[in-house]
Amino acid sequence: MKPATLPLVKVKSARLAREGRRMLDGVDLELADGRLLALIGPNGAGKSTLLRVLAGRRRLDSGSVRVLGQDPLRQASARRAIGFVPQSIALYPQLPVRSNLEIFARLLGVPGRAIRQAVDEALDWSGLRDRAADAVSQLSGGMQRRVNIAAGTLHQPRLLLLDEPAVGLDPGVRGTIQDLMRRLRERGIGIVLTTHDLAEAGELADEVAIMLAGRIAAFGSPAELVAAEFGQCREVNLLLHVPPDDPARTALIAGGFLPTASARLWTTRFDGGLVELEQLRSRLSAQGLAVDELRLREPGLDGLFLRVTGEILQ
Amino acid sequence: MLLVLLRDRGALLMGFVVPVVFFLILAEIFTSSADGELRLRLALTDEIQSPESLRLLAALEANASIERVDHAGDRETVRELVRRGTADVGLVLRADGEPLTGPPGFGPPPLLLLVDPARAVIADLLTGQLQRAYFGALPDVPLRNVIDLVGSEFTEFTPGQLAEIETGLGGMVRAAEAGAEVGFRFDDLLDRTSVVGQSASRNQVAYYAGAIAFMFLLLAAAQGAMTLIDEHESGILDRIAAGPAGPAPVMDGKFLFLAGQGLVQTTLIFAAAWLIYGVDLPGEWPGFLLVSVAAALCAAGIGLALVALCGTRARAQVMPVVVIVTVSAIGGSMVPRFFMPPWLQDLGWLTPNTWALEAYSGVFWRGAAASELLLPCILLALAGVAGLACARLAVRRMLGD
Repeated sequence: MKPATLPLVKVKSARLAREGRRMLDGVDLELADGRLLALIGPNGAGKSTLLRVLAGRRRLDSGSVRVLGQDPLRQASARRAIGFVPQSIALYPQLPVRSNLEIFARLLGVPGRAIRQAVDEALDWSGLRDRAADAVSQLSGGMQRRVNIAAGTLHQPRLLLLDEPAVGLDPGVRGTIQDLMRRLRERGIGIVLTTHDLAEAGELADEVAIMLAGRIAAFGSPAELVAAEFGQCREVNLLLHVPPDDPARTALIAGGFLPTASARLWTTRFDGGLVELEQLRSRLSAQGLAVDELRLREPGLDGLFLRVTGEILQ
Repeated sequence: MLLVLLRDRGALLMGFVVPVVFFLILAEIFTSSADGELRLRLALTDEIQSPESLRLLAALEANASIERVDHAGDRETVRELVRRGTADVGLVLRADGEPLTGPPGFGPPPLLLLVDPARAVIADLLTGQLQRAYFGALPDVPLRNVIDLVGSEFTEFTPGQLAEIETGLGGMVRAAEAGAEVGFRFDDLLDRTSVVGQSASRNQVAYYAGAIAFMFLLLAAAQGAMTLIDEHESGILDRIAAGPAGPAPVMDGKFLFLAGQGLVQTTLIFAAAWLIYGVDLPGEWPGFLLVSVAAALCAAGIGLALVALCGTRARAQVMPVVVIVTVSAIGGSMVPRFFMPPWLQDLGWLTPNTWALEAYSGVFWRGAAASELLLPCILLALAGVAGLACARLAVRRMLGD
């Protein structure tokens, strides 16, 4: 009988609290080889904590985490299979790109004779060959991010963990970082990243986990999750001129609207067209609500995120 | 660390040039005093104006330890010169006192020192120089006093004997004026020899080379260990900690790098001491190497531990310097331990500076055997390793493990 293939990542009932605050509260997760999982959620939801648990950088209070069947906290062999890319530019700014990569290759356990080849390959696929001799501090923000990612991949990891890899970048530059991650996935590397960019998650991820208060509130492929939440419906977002009073709130909830973190913004599933939308506006006006905006849109991850968490990610 | 250091000219200057310059300055200051070449600035007034007082003043002016003699018009001017700090000490040859040449009487003594309490030790130095000048310039005076005492208390001299004595004393005065050393001299009763082969000044330089080298070793190690904070803030430590080996190899690498840097730094200081002051580095290099390796390991471990325990840049920029300067002061890196009160000397044994200084003194001063150096060297190296272990734990805490 052929043995079952070990999942790349398996997290079971992971719980972790610090100073009375539940940072992970029963997380279960599984990821297959070569897949890209995006962890999304509001600040403090537990995304970065989960990433650190996967990297073997945090001890769980209970539960287990395995990477290729091994515990990354206790087994160096598990950590050898992991590449970790912190959110900050974790590089030596005064040193050239090549020197940085050589240093991290050595620290990641790449044998001395293989370092040059590993660095050359990383410079090639990250498009940094021409800037190899430049100090990191002389590079643009986008290029620094590329070096930051390349420095986590020199030892050919099976799993790459990225904490907000494109944070603070212009949309154009963000695109090049996304291309980089696609290339990594094509090389068979499994990726777990945290992001606040739902468009990025929707485009890139094979799987998405929406985290809320230390738990995974929704998990699956972006298309499956959106379909499960909205079915054939579309999404309507209502922006009021002022926050509603209590009777108006009651009426909105009775009408199928869900409140969000913003008192003026409400959301609902909607299975009508433009005519029905106009009728809805009339009903809302008749109830005395001043409508600033009533938007009918195809549902996406952002709509799903809003319904699950009540928050809009910028 | 080496690549970063090589690109940081300021750090290179601080690490390898400033300690040598600092050492040369202090060595120059302290060897001057050790050689007895301290230059006193003396203000004086001669109210007596006798041949004897003029001879005494001439002898004082000829003294090599007295740099400048200001002849002030009166006692008040002398007092003012000392009060303002223009002169280190004032001397009045007073007309209202007992005679300069007579035996001590009931009136005020003929010599009056005007002293600033802040520089009282200089008055003691001048007292020694004054005695020397007095006995050199007036060799007949103490003899004459003794003869007067013998004549009045024990036996009466005949006129013939008195005439011979006067002739003899007059000859002594002429000989003294001609520059001969005659009469009673304490110097004749005293011989001085060094307990070791080298001169005292060279030993002093060896002391200061060790003292300053070790203090700068600690400062440079703490400065170098600041890369820990840089790496923590930039996320580099986090990245390294997630790697297969964790942060331990990086800490060990920093420890060895800082120790190597310290060894180079110490060698530069002692090389300057050898080239400029003749400290016998080539002759004592095995002992020097043993002590310097142990001292460098100690400083590297302590520097890393101090910075890692701070955890943040704000604390790491202040706390290690305060600790190092305090420990260095107690341990004898700033003021020689033999100048300190006994309780402070005892306290010094709790500091690595004292072990390092004792070990360097053993090599360059006492010519100690290797077995004598082993204990301080082992203690220094163990302190370094303990510092490294402490730094490793502190880094784990810093990373939130």
